[in-house]
Amino acid sequence: MPKRLLQKTMKARVFCNNFKSGGGHLYGLESINASNGWAISIVGISIVFSGLVSLSLVISQLYKVLALYEDPSKITAFFKSKKSKKVDEKEGEKIITIVLTRSQKETVKQFALLARTLDDHFSLPRLLHLAQISGIKDPYPSLNILLKMRIVESDENGFFMWKNEVSDRAVR
Amino acid sequence: MNKLCGESMRDIKEILKKSKVFGLLDADSVKRLAGMFDQWTIHPGDILTNSGDTAHTFFLLGKGTVLLAMDEGKAIVLDTPGDFMGLELLSAKGKYKTSLSVLEEGSVFALSRQGFMELIREDSAMAETIMDAWQEYLDAKAPFAKNNEGPGLLQQF
Repeated sequence: MPKRLLQKTMKARVFCNNFKSGGGHLYGLESINASNGWAISIVGISIVFSGLVSLSLVISQLYKVLALYEDPSKITAFFKSKKSKKVDEKEGEKIITIVLTRSQKETVKQFALLARTLDDHFSLPRLLHLAQISGIKDPYPSLNILLKMRIVESDENGFFMWKNEVSDRAVR
Repeated sequence: MNKLCGESMRDIKEILKKSKVFGLLDADSVKRLAGMFDQWTIHPGDILTNSGDTAHTFFLLGKGTVLLAMDEGKAIVLDTPGDFMGLELLSAKGKYKTSLSVLEEGSVFALSRQGFMELIREDSAMAETIMDAWQEYLDAKAPFAKNNEGPGLLQQF
């Protein structure tokens, strides 16, 4: 006889003996054993435990949701950048298209105004210096965005050019 | 500043192999050179060198974007891992002649100028490979920054 069947038969026999001697009622550990109580309690504990873990994870990430609630523009910026952040291969070089947030668009416009005061082929450190003294927000990362988007492009002689058409497209 | 170990050491070896300046070196030279670097984390707005200061460090770009500003208003944007900021691009007669500002967060591998000079003085084969690759790199990246005083005078850097 297979081992599992033998165990079940033994269990049933014990149950019958107990039932006969005890007048039909089981108590304590015997009752738990007979009704698969241990397995049920382990399943119960697991359910409660995983529920608590999930709850704690949700609570720990709640601050991000609250941050988005306070500044809804982040939500649109996130989805737009996910959708349209793409890399074009043009003449072997990478051009990154980034959808700008409202404040970044403002920064590009401010940089454009500064670039207008310079020559067509201007000094990039000079533009950065002007941005700093004009109080433009985050001038270094902003200049990096201009370079990545090719709004500002090298003339291959050490100077740089402002690309109006790219800039206009970016702030539209 | 972090001394290189484990993963960073693997990173620098990979970057050296990909670098246009150091990519042609043999495995032993790469290993020897890799041990001379320290890794620095860089943040937008950090100034790595100031024109006129004593030149003590050359840099190899790991990640991020750096603006190299020359005295005459010219500039180069370095954003490819493996870009080397050293020799005549950075210094002349032991002084920095350009300023390096960080535009994008990332990391650079810093190399002692003195140590680098000694290494290429001791190992003429390595020196030749590096200097040939360096001239090609400058031709492609910044021909306007090339030194016209004549090659081979390491002291001038």
